[in-house]
Amino acid sequence: MPDNKYRFPLFLAALALASSVFADDDPRHERHELMESVGEAAKPVGEMLKGEAEFDADTLLQSLNVWKDVGGQFGGLFPEGSETGMGTEAAPAIWEDRAGFEKALAKWQAAVDGAIEAGPDSLEAAKPVIGPVFEACKGCHDNYRIAEE
Amino acid sequence: MLRIVRASALLIGALVLVSWWLTRPQALTADDLPQHEPDSVAGQAVFWAGGCASCHASPVEGKRAKGEAKLRLGGGAELDTGYGVFRVPNISPHETAGIGGWSMLEFVNAMQRGVSPRGRHYYPSFPYTSYARMKIEDVMDLKAFLDTLPAVEGGAGDHGLAFPWNIRRGIGLWKRRYLTQQNIVELDSVEPAVRRGQALVEGAGHCGECHTPRDRFGGMLADRWLGGAPNPEGRGRVPNITPGGKNLADWSQSDISFYLESGFTPDFDTAGGSMVAVQENMAQLTKSDRDAIAAYLKSIPAIE
Repeated sequence: MPDNKYRFPLFLAALALASSVFADDDPRHERHELMESVGEAAKPVGEMLKGEAEFDADTLLQSLNVWKDVGGQFGGLFPEGSETGMGTEAAPAIWEDRAGFEKALAKWQAAVDGAIEAGPDSLEAAKPVIGPVFEACKGCHDNYRIAEE
Repeated sequence: MLRIVRASALLIGALVLVSWWLTRPQALTADDLPQHEPDSVAGQAVFWAGGCASCHASPVEGKRAKGEAKLRLGGGAELDTGYGVFRVPNISPHETAGIGGWSMLEFVNAMQRGVSPRGRHYYPSFPYTSYARMKIEDVMDLKAFLDTLPAVEGGAGDHGLAFPWNIRRGIGLWKRRYLTQQNIVELDSVEPAVRRGQALVEGAGHCGECHTPRDRFGGMLADRWLGGAPNPEGRGRVPNITPGGKNLADWSQSDISFYLESGFTPDFDTAGGSMVAVQENMAQLTKSDRDAIAAYLKSIPAIE
């Protein structure tokens, strides 16, 4: 048993070791987590579109705000050296065609901003402004994500 | 001695005749065409269900065609498979480069019997084994729609296949074993939506061509129908889409329908690979057709 006064530093060292192993701050991990949160936020919106849930403007706005937040961070999470590993689904095209990737991301951000601004209060009003958001998701996945194996 | 030579010659001659007869292309005749006024509007729906554009639309700057470009059916894409490279032909209404000069009968024979106007077999990379299950009237409507599309110049080169796959005549034998108009699944359900889904999935939609594994001769394993298969174009697997597959087991009918419409899975992941283009085609169908496909997929035997 180590001396009491070493406990805390040891704990910190262990924590540092653990986080380097799990690499919470690795961009590949961060962007994966962010993408998961985008998907989570899309679920309640999808339920509304499918007619499985009542339209709710607040829920929609919440999801839009998650996407806005992610959109602001996402572009910075693809530094050199994070092209492969950790099961990343990021396609080489992101690094080969950075301008195209950023344009695709900007398209998504613009669609999200547009939907927030429109502030739809019914499903009918929401459909035409959510459509471009989803289209932009797909447009980017199509070119800049490795297809699922 | 002479007798032996003569007998051998006779035997070889007989074998040649029999194999020539066994492998001959079997086409429909004019009498087989029903009285039907082809309808190009109905044909447009068949076009999207059939996924013609996914292979035949000319790539744009090396990438798959999108939007209006999907209607320029100049071919030219390449399918790199285990048998070799298949080069997709021009099916635009161009008189010489495309199929503009074809009669209705020639078109129906290509689609449903895999026989070219010159009486040669097509390779089953062109999924006539599925299209054979379509209603002839739908095929006729499809031609009427194709006739409205832009004529595109140019065409593909020959397929680059390895022996023995490069012998076209051999496809005649293959067809005897694998080409049938029978439904694949014996359905208990008589619900019209399920039946409609069956027609779409087993026929025009030709879903089984990728989602069903094949035997070593390239014929579909009917008892593993839609049970998932190696990706014909490379790495990975095409998913099991029966109720027994981990991919779809938890999906509701409306999840499947929504996926076909929007491209999003219930987890809001998006379609990948070749399915991107397929989903875009499915998005062009009516909602009731997408619902029918979903109803059918929920009704077929579960493959583990």
